[in-house]
Amino acid sequence: MSRNPDQPVRVLVVDDHPLWRDGAARSLAEAGFVISGTAGNAAQALRVALATRPDVVLLDLNLPDASGAEVTGQLLAALPTVRVLMLSASGERQDVLDAVTAGASGYLLKSAELRELIDGVSATAEGHAVFTPGLAGLVLGEYRRLAQAGGEPQAPVAADTGPTPRLTDRETEILRLVATGLTYPQIAERLTLSPRTVQNHVQNTLSKLQLHNKAQLVRYALERGVE
Amino acid sequence: MSSRLWRVVAVYRVVTLIYAGVQIIRNHNLYAHPLGGYLALLGMTIWTIITVIAYSRPAGRNRWMLAADVVVSAGAIVSTRWIDTAARINHGAPTIPVIWAASAILACAVYGGPWAGMAGAFPVWLGDLIERQAILTESMLDGLVLLLVVGGVGGYVVRLALQAEAAIDLAARHEAAIAERERIARNIHDSVLQVLALVASRGRSIGGEAAELGVLAAEQEAALRSLVSGDRVEPDAETGLMDVRALIEPLADARVTVSCPATAVMMAPAAARALSGATAAAVDNVRKHAGDTARGWVLVEDEGGTVRISVRDDGRGFGSGRLAVAAAAGRLGVSHSIMGRLRQVGGRGTITSRPGEGTEVDLRVPQS
Repeated sequence: MSRNPDQPVRVLVVDDHPLWRDGAARSLAEAGFVISGTAGNAAQALRVALATRPDVVLLDLNLPDASGAEVTGQLLAALPTVRVLMLSASGERQDVLDAVTAGASGYLLKSAELRELIDGVSATAEGHAVFTPGLAGLVLGEYRRLAQAGGEPQAPVAADTGPTPRLTDRETEILRLVATGLTYPQIAERLTLSPRTVQNHVQNTLSKLQLHNKAQLVRYALERGVE
Repeated sequence: MSSRLWRVVAVYRVVTLIYAGVQIIRNHNLYAHPLGGYLALLGMTIWTIITVIAYSRPAGRNRWMLAADVVVSAGAIVSTRWIDTAARINHGAPTIPVIWAASAILACAVYGGPWAGMAGAFPVWLGDLIERQAILTESMLDGLVLLLVVGGVGGYVVRLALQAEAAIDLAARHEAAIAERERIARNIHDSVLQVLALVASRGRSIGGEAAELGVLAAEQEAALRSLVSGDRVEPDAETGLMDVRALIEPLADARVTVSCPATAVMMAPAAARALSGATAAAVDNVRKHAGDTARGWVLVEDEGGTVRISVRDDGRGFGSGRLAVAAAAGRLGVSHSIMGRLRQVGGRGTITSRPGEGTEVDLRVPQS
């Protein structure tokens, strides 16, 4: 938490469509954010991010020179405290899931209303996970896939990567409610929890996946003899 | 491909030259003119060098070169008459160039196909005829047939190889063109989606007529997005199972969101169709009865053995007795179209609702 809460949130907008990029930057500036810069491709995004150190990177999933997961990985390697909010127009499921397991804090469709975008950037800056129903469905599916793959005997037993990540019953329940369109306050009310607790549960589901992904990458590197 | 075939001819020529050389060295003391044997070998070596160099370039692969090649080969055969003894020749001793002479025929075949190959075979055979000083004996006719076969079959195989290469090349081009078209289509879809999304969000924030435009744009955006993500509808050829996501995704529009796993959710086709039919009926209900501003969400889950679909809306909902009342009144809509379909494939479903709190439909069907 290097960010001073009294300072306005600094946002880097990365998108290869100038129309969208400028529109989003203008809307966010009007809403009180500081646009630290804009970029049209991954290489430029990295340069501008290093030079301007934004709090949040609003990142288009389909950049011409790198996948969303690659850009997210590179950004987080260069600036570990930055938070990445993914945006995409087409919502290619595997791409979205890859970017989120690579460390992105959340995901919005470009058709989201301006209000959702502004709330999403604010929540991301505060370290919250920004979920669409679609992303919740993807994360639920990914945990099921991992559980099924881990249950098969031929799957390598991950002694050095820790056990296959699993959702608690509460987390599953909450993700299912997110996936069927309930907001965090609505979920909190329904389950008689605090909105903060709901937020933490959702955040946990992402963190576990990201940690698992990191461990997988390390194991892969070790197996391949990369020092 | 063509230059590779010419290389084959060159290799054949060099190998057969070595063979001819070995024969000449081994038999030279039996020849009438041993020195003549070495001179012929020298000539064949020089000619091998000339043709290998000439045929390595497209410009050197011409009729004059081929004609000269055939004449030299025939000449090398005829020279046997002078170099070797008549007794040995009459006893069927091999000619001086042995099978080196066939390289000219192969060159003709590579150059012009089966007819050219056979045309090249004829002068070489004539050389043979002169060398033997024989009339058309049976063995000479056999020799002619063999040479024609070399030229004809060689030319035919060359033709086939070139045609196959052209066909493969064409197929590769087609494939590349399709891949490129798909790539362009993806980019165009992405750009169109961007613009539609922008129009939708800007329109809504401006209000008035722009808001109406925004609603239209949002509808088209949702329709195009579900089209672009289109998974394969056909059942898998090996397992006979199909991806139920492909049937559920088209239900999405500006008001209804569909959430699925990233990986395929495979089901027996009958089960998949029953489940998607029930889901469609539930979504239809949202559109018709939940109210104009109500939104709907569909969640597809693979529970391992069972596929679960949840449909929720934030519409007006209804009291617990209303479904039963509707069924009793003969309006079998919901219970028939949803529950009936599920029962047929061993599935089950629940519908819960309270006035003002929307409706939740929970459907479960075994995967096969």
